[in-house]
Amino acid sequence: MTEPLLSVKNLQTEFRTREGVVKAVGGISFDLRAGETLGVVGESGSGKSVSFLSLMRLIPEPPGKIVGGEILFQGRDLLKLPPELMRRVRGDQISMIFQDPMTSLNPFLKISRQMTEVLEEHRSLFGEKALKVAIQMLDAVGIPESARRIHDYPHQFSGGMRQRVMIAMALLCQPKLLIADEPTTALDVTIQAQILELLKELQKEFQMAVVLITHNLGVAAQLCETIAVMYAGKIVEYGPVEEIFYRPKHPYTMGLLRSVPRLDEKISARLETIQGQPPDLLALPQGCSYTPRCHCAVERCGKEYPDAIQLDEQHYSRCWKAKELT
Amino acid sequence: MTEPLVKVRDLAVHFPVEKGLFFKKTVAHVRAVDGVSFDIYPGETLGLVGESGCGKSTLGRAILQLIRPTAGKVFFQGEDLTQLRGEALRDARCDFQIIFQDPYGSLNPRMTVGDIVGEPLKIFNIVRGKAWERRVQELFGLVGLDPKFIRRYPHEFSGGQRQRIGIARALALNPKFIVADEPISSLDVSIQAQILNLMMDLQKQLNLTYLFIAHDLAAVRHVSSRVAVMYLGKVVEVADRNEIYAAPKHPYTRALLSAVPLPDPEIQKKRQRIVLQGDVPSPLTPPPGCPFHTRCPEALHHCSLDVPKFKDYGVGHFVSCHLMEK
Repeated sequence: MTEPLLSVKNLQTEFRTREGVVKAVGGISFDLRAGETLGVVGESGSGKSVSFLSLMRLIPEPPGKIVGGEILFQGRDLLKLPPELMRRVRGDQISMIFQDPMTSLNPFLKISRQMTEVLEEHRSLFGEKALKVAIQMLDAVGIPESARRIHDYPHQFSGGMRQRVMIAMALLCQPKLLIADEPTTALDVTIQAQILELLKELQKEFQMAVVLITHNLGVAAQLCETIAVMYAGKIVEYGPVEEIFYRPKHPYTMGLLRSVPRLDEKISARLETIQGQPPDLLALPQGCSYTPRCHCAVERCGKEYPDAIQLDEQHYSRCWKAKELT
Repeated sequence: MTEPLVKVRDLAVHFPVEKGLFFKKTVAHVRAVDGVSFDIYPGETLGLVGESGCGKSTLGRAILQLIRPTAGKVFFQGEDLTQLRGEALRDARCDFQIIFQDPYGSLNPRMTVGDIVGEPLKIFNIVRGKAWERRVQELFGLVGLDPKFIRRYPHEFSGGQRQRIGIARALALNPKFIVADEPISSLDVSIQAQILNLMMDLQKQLNLTYLFIAHDLAAVRHVSSRVAVMYLGKVVEVADRNEIYAAPKHPYTRALLSAVPLPDPEIQKKRQRIVLQGDVPSPLTPPPGCPFHTRCPEALHHCSLDVPKFKDYGVGHFVSCHLMEK
């Protein structure tokens, strides 16, 4: 077994607010192999984005704080790196793309400037040389007339094209790991299909590991080999995509899969629902956070949070009844 | 055959684009809705789908006269709403209401939720005092909220609960027809099913007619009796729900359906998908002929020359496509 590219161990991130401490990430652990695609699914507030912003060390401090854990990337603990060294990792070996390409690109700078800056920082490439690399990358992500369009400003691109520019920028240094935080949520379905197709091709071409953060189960099913389901700051289930979709072993995953209307299913009169609301992170219930909404909770669930129970070689669930659920 | 509740005929909404600081001159028009005709029958749900910017919301609002149409007619129970003004229009509004997308922006934060829900009752002087309070509590019960909450403020509620408040407000005057403008798209996945179920229960209980606007094709399939597909200001296909999902006739509908990612990894791998090239053209300068011809994989030469007619190709399956005319 080779060393994993990334190994996260018991990562915890908190935000101190006037109302109290928000435990946004409550101890998550997982490994990621080189070239693997991990889908992180969960609802808003489940800690998906904060987990990976913590990994990039992009949590604003204060109010945020990474209070514990290890993030081993190629054997080095990113949490122990001094800020200057972390800057060299960011955008070079690990890149991130965000949901909204309009607010993540600088509206005052031409695309050319924003792209060559990355190459100046990380590759010491300047002027014409940098521009050439940038144009090649725009070609790779399918921007027509790239040599002309590189001198445009972000507002001159459509939403889908802007997301392509973001992807090109993230790939300039050929990162080992690409974190895509809801890359298609702001896009229309026909454009979403284009971007997902592109991500798939680029991953093969550049041999990188991809973390795809999404709340859309369909998107995760299309692109990912492994799925991590997050709820209230914890990974409640983790496993190969087929296991998660066909043999889920956590009541939350099961509920989520059943409550989404599907295009390929017979239409039923009523949708199955998950009762209640997502929990308040300021006041998490004792024991398993899903207990108040769970239809198969037992007394023990309200007292202790189970550790990950291994069900299969790669399939884990944090539920006391994981082995009995079908 | 029953009479339609709502008849939309050649409806158009053009927004002027103005230039000049002091002497504003209209330089162009955004053709948000451009000649749309269809019927909505009592007791049914007509789903309206399309990508962002295609004019779905503008159409919904133009039907309710919240935006005054540039041309065309809207008949509600036989009466042409576009001819009504002032007091007469206001009185007519008792029968048709709207539910908005954003449950945060559409509730006044300085009013108690009881006042929000009960305001229409006061405006139309329907009930006062104790009877008013009873009716508001009854409405709360109807949408599954605790009637004790009527003195609370919107910020004390979660997204799903706020959407219930928005629905209660829409129901206050016992309307016949409700336009639901993306009622679930800003909600968490696990909450969406609850709201869809609620809307369907209320429809049965109160004999409501819905225009359900959404971009989530699976949700629309679940709730609708018939579905209309919009592209660039025009309705390109209308048909019975089962018919349109099983045998879509317009190439755009086919592409749209095949772009929806299914939450099923096996099917996703095997499925043949139509990935549309390019972006939606600007409604400022819509292409001549069929609006879809610039992206259509099956476009013929004369598609770029004249606009295809919107015709019934059997049992109420309306399509506007030159391929059908052959």
